[in-house]
Amino acid sequence: MRLLVLAFPELRAPGADPRPWERMLDALDDLSPRVEAVDLGVALVDITGLEPMWGPERRIAARAVMLTRAVAPMVVRAGIGENRWLASLATRLARPDRPGAPAALRTLERAELPDLPLSLLPADAAMRQRLALFGLVRMEQLAALPRSAVAAQFGTTGERLQALARGHDPRPLVPRRRPERVAADAIFEPPLDSIGAVALTLRRLAAELCDRLRDRHLAPGRATLTLAFEDAPALRVAQPFPQPALEPDWIARLLLSRVEAAARASGRQKLSSVAQDGLRRHPQPADPESSRLNLHKSMTSNSRPRQNRPSDAPTVATSDRWQEEASEEHPEPRVASVRLAFDRLTDPATRQLPAFEARAGRWEELRWSIERIRHRFGEGRLWRATVDRPHAALAEHRSRLVDIGQ
Amino acid sequence: MQTDVVADSAPDSAPLAAALETLRARGLDLRRGSEPVAVAAPRPAVPTGHPALDAALGVGGWPRGSLALLDAPSGGGATSLALGTLAAAQAAGGLVAWLDLDGTLDPAVAACLGVSLEWLLVARPRDPGEAIELAAWLGRSGLIDALVLDLGAGAVPDRRALDRLGALLGRTGGTSALVLAPGARAVAGTVAGVRVAVHRSAWLAVGRDLVGQRVRAVVERNRWALAGGSAELDLWFGEGRRIDPLVTALAEPRPLDGERPALRVVSA
Repeated sequence: MRLLVLAFPELRAPGADPRPWERMLDALDDLSPRVEAVDLGVALVDITGLEPMWGPERRIAARAVMLTRAVAPMVVRAGIGENRWLASLATRLARPDRPGAPAALRTLERAELPDLPLSLLPADAAMRQRLALFGLVRMEQLAALPRSAVAAQFGTTGERLQALARGHDPRPLVPRRRPERVAADAIFEPPLDSIGAVALTLRRLAAELCDRLRDRHLAPGRATLTLAFEDAPALRVAQPFPQPALEPDWIARLLLSRVEAAARASGRQKLSSVAQDGLRRHPQPADPESSRLNLHKSMTSNSRPRQNRPSDAPTVATSDRWQEEASEEHPEPRVASVRLAFDRLTDPATRQLPAFEARAGRWEELRWSIERIRHRFGEGRLWRATVDRPHAALAEHRSRLVDIGQ
Repeated sequence: MQTDVVADSAPDSAPLAAALETLRARGLDLRRGSEPVAVAAPRPAVPTGHPALDAALGVGGWPRGSLALLDAPSGGGATSLALGTLAAAQAAGGLVAWLDLDGTLDPAVAACLGVSLEWLLVARPRDPGEAIELAAWLGRSGLIDALVLDLGAGAVPDRRALDRLGALLGRTGGTSALVLAPGARAVAGTVAGVRVAVHRSAWLAVGRDLVGQRVRAVVERNRWALAGGSAELDLWFGEGRRIDPLVTALAEPRPLDGERPALRVVSA
């Protein structure tokens, strides 16, 4: 196996801007399918078998440097070895060919290890002092000792250091999972007069994306909704979910409540109220055909905006507010397109508590409603109580309320 | 069961009341037409935590999908009854919520009365209208089994909003909402499907120490079963501490009009 380590000292400096790092890793994904982000500013790339495609190792390293510097022109040190230890040590030993050169490359083979000093081993000061007391100063001296003797004298740490001095490092490369993002969009031609029809389309898009992810046993942790208006700036909301879920209804309702909150801030109150009402009044379609049908119905009904007044809305207390909002004259922007994207994809099977406690599953479902309530009413409404000092004399000292969103 | 009313089942000279009484005694019911009696499914209910009150309510507790008014004066035991209901609902595996307009809920007392705070959602609305709106949102979710709408002593909610909340709960059908509104009993009492009046009937004392009160809960209105039932309930003063079982065993009722015992909480 041949591994390439790339280190970017500028990224590891305190106060450095970490934002380019993900894009640099994405650029390295174009070079090799196995890239590990060891730490901020340190990447490990598996370059085994890439020679037929990219040429010799040095050329592969040069290409990796070029790809990352295309994202952010930083100083980079690169090292190549047959395992993590050798590759990272090569990176430490790399020196630029000329002063001021932005890149340095070093290849280190196991045969070169014996002459190197023991101070290069990742040991603490006490261990180094003990090694020095035994007169061990070079790698070959430690490597030549019997393993049992090293274990007896220096313990498991000594064993590990001796393995490194011999050039052995069993730690595997753990390739990073590229942040994945799935998206679907719909274009309305002609643009919609109301967002009520968008609610149905949004539900359909969410169902479509959920179906795609369900087959791969993945669930999204965040959704990003972008509404493009014909005569107004686009509205983009990113909504993290209470937990990864594949429920299109929950997702659509949560996103619409978020749109309502964002629209309220920007003065599109009437528009957002119609959106909530549209999703409530129409049954959730089970298949795309019925979805299209409902969308058509909704579009035709929404062509007469005045008939959308939710006098028969099943909400209880929102109708009064709706009337207050409806009394305000806001121009209703026409929706040209909607785009829904899911990211933070994880395996939903990791959430096991509801399998043992049915109430926990209901509580998690309730958290979606809680999130919508937070959008509707703002912060500081919903709490959980804890009793810290049950024997305190004053009632207010016995318990406290914790914001449910924290 | 035979349901038809036979016109000549009573002598012409007998008064109608006597004829009806005769029919009732024979197990017959007054119905128009001859269709068989539809067996109504029992209304699902949330237990109150007091079996006697469950029996008085007729459906085994507070009916789901309805508003219930606990009509009691301040200090009359309505909060204890409501907390007992939440504890019973949680014991049955449910989720509960308390909408606390005045901020008077003491979680330590709730925990003392058996409420699991882990599954209790506490809402702090800013006004009665928002409290009702929050109750509607929680009821619409269908995930809350019982919620208590504590409007405090001085708040007067909008009657229409309460009425619509009741209609929404009826459509959802899963949540039972208890309304505590000492200052708005006239408003809430007209829209609630169940109205239970709670009156203190005696003090409970150990020696000269006041440890609780005995209340009589009377079902004054019930849309889902026969009204008029009543139950005697013993409510203990704990102030958030565990009630000593010995206290409950030794407590004796004292008449209200007699010498009032000293207010001293006896707890472990």
